[in-house]
Amino acid sequence: MKGNLKSFLILSLVLVLVLSMALFSCKKKEEPKAEETAAPVKVGMATDVGGLGDKSFNDGAYNGLLLGKERLGIVPTVVESKQQTDYVPNLSGLAEDGHKLVFAVGFLMADALLEAAKNNPDAYFAGIDIFVDPATAPKNVMGILYKEEESGYLAGVLAGLMTKKYASASPKLNDQNVVGVVLGMFIPPVEKFEVGFYQGVKAVNPDCQVISVTTGSFTDQAKGKEAALAMIENGADIIFHAAGLTGLGAINAAKEKGVFAIGVDVDQNPVAPDTVLTSAVKGIVNSTYLTIESMMQDRFEGGTTKTFGINEDSTGIAPFHQFDSMIPQEVKDIINQTIADMKAGKIKIATTRAEAGMK
Amino acid sequence: MSGILSVFNLNLLIATIRLSTPITLAALGATICERAGIVNIAMEGIMIIGSFFAAVTALATGNPWLGLLAGLLAGGIFSLIHAVATISLHLDHVVSGAVLNILAFGITRYLMVLFFGHPGTTDAIPLSLYRFQWAIPGLSRIPILGPIFFNQTPIVYFSFILVIFFAFVMKKTKFGLHVRAAGEHPLALETIGVSVFKIRYLAVFISGLTSGLAGAYLSIENNVSFTEGMTNGRGFIALAANISGGWTPLGSFLSSLFFGFADALQVRFQIIKLVNVPSEIFIIFPYVATVIVVAGLVRKSRSPKALGNDFMIEKERD
Repeated sequence: MKGNLKSFLILSLVLVLVLSMALFSCKKKEEPKAEETAAPVKVGMATDVGGLGDKSFNDGAYNGLLLGKERLGIVPTVVESKQQTDYVPNLSGLAEDGHKLVFAVGFLMADALLEAAKNNPDAYFAGIDIFVDPATAPKNVMGILYKEEESGYLAGVLAGLMTKKYASASPKLNDQNVVGVVLGMFIPPVEKFEVGFYQGVKAVNPDCQVISVTTGSFTDQAKGKEAALAMIENGADIIFHAAGLTGLGAINAAKEKGVFAIGVDVDQNPVAPDTVLTSAVKGIVNSTYLTIESMMQDRFEGGTTKTFGINEDSTGIAPFHQFDSMIPQEVKDIINQTIADMKAGKIKIATTRAEAGMK
Repeated sequence: MSGILSVFNLNLLIATIRLSTPITLAALGATICERAGIVNIAMEGIMIIGSFFAAVTALATGNPWLGLLAGLLAGGIFSLIHAVATISLHLDHVVSGAVLNILAFGITRYLMVLFFGHPGTTDAIPLSLYRFQWAIPGLSRIPILGPIFFNQTPIVYFSFILVIFFAFVMKKTKFGLHVRAAGEHPLALETIGVSVFKIRYLAVFISGLTSGLAGAYLSIENNVSFTEGMTNGRGFIALAANISGGWTPLGSFLSSLFFGFADALQVRFQIIKLVNVPSEIFIIFPYVATVIVVAGLVRKSRSPKALGNDFMIEKERD
């Protein structure tokens, strides 16, 4: 008797499952018919393993999508990747699901992006911080790079000037002439920030010592704090970070020890208003939006890599907030002149450590 | 910078404590738990749970001490899942631990979005336990040892106390003997009327408490917010620390100190640019050192005899 009851229950369960699957799949077939008349364009985005809420990178791209929704009426979708093996399924899934343009966010997704683009020739793909080789890549994928070295350079100019010549402007600054850079994983965007910063410092303060520590992670606050503390022990009074969430620990260390920090990617002054002098920003929101716009206007630049820099309003440093009055006018003048020179193409900034002559 | 010797200073030793504390606490938990016979590889997951609840409570109440308590208890309660799975339901210890690790990361993400509307990182807590650094009068003046051991923040002090306390309990008390018996020859323990189940449950719960405390250290004492993934493998290092420490509290402490020391060292080596190699070499240095130490010491180190063995009272009675 018991055995029969068991098999009956299992059978009913299976039946219910099958029926509900049939029911729900029926529902799906009806919806597109109603929408075919005025289908809004779907734009998708797959984050890297950092996910949303990183207060910089992935959030910036998502905000670009939201800007597209606001101004162009696109329908945004975000899929978060938990590990690197999710990249290809996430990207392809979005394309198969009717998204006309799919963004991959992050250098680590480069291979996955190309593979998804090859497998889904009917959709457009764009990779933020990803280099797409015009010679070999399919025509439906575009790379978006940034001139992080420009933002790093400007931050370096500020730091180089404040740490020595204008150190009297704030008690937080000492006369040791040392600044530090905390890095996350050593990937090209991070390298460009660091190298740009180094050159900016050296351009205005050749004797300044620039210390660099790589932590190897974008989510380990304790390591970020440790790196910054070690630098401060060695006399650094301005700590720049290109380390994502690890950088929060570095900013925290700067706050604890009463020195300055410089943020990255977005304006990070809200993280510690009395510590973050400025931030080396990356115009992810803007460039994401512009890419969506180009797709909507049928001028998507597939099969190429576009580099966004100071002339596209995509690099620079964030406002000084409460430090605006502390920073001398001469420093601001030098920075503004540097920006003008950059826009005119007068400043050549190296993008790798080797090129910049960093040991 | 000046040569390699400039790196070896007081700051390096203070940094060692700062970096090793979360590992010490988690490793202590592993010691107790595994001594009682339950394999615990879920310290990473329990730590992240502790981190999360400590930060959330500190944010909500503005009181970091409540955050500490919350992190502790959250870790303890979460570890009870492991206890029920391995002790009452007789499931494989390693499988249960692995599942718990995955669950922990899933729960923290889910709750992050539920409480804050976004994953990633929380806002800064208003008051961090770092502000409660206390220099013990007199003792903190001792040259070298003073600044390292007697001028620390709360959870660091707790870790010192727990090392001594656990070492004492394990060696000198009846409870400690029962814990060790539960991991060596549980039948003998049951024969004298002590419930092996109860001892093991308690041991797992204690390991949950210390791992929760380790997590709380990361989010509300070492830093001022919770970030997903902020444990970054420390729970697994604690596992290695316990093993290379020979499953003793003091051994776990020393092994954790060794890892913290290696980690503090590599940062400072990067600063003085000791050798011109890619920075990744420095980053993996503490992990490689740990592997070498564990591989070297593990032969001398003997695991509890009944570790990982399921204990079923009915089966033994036959």
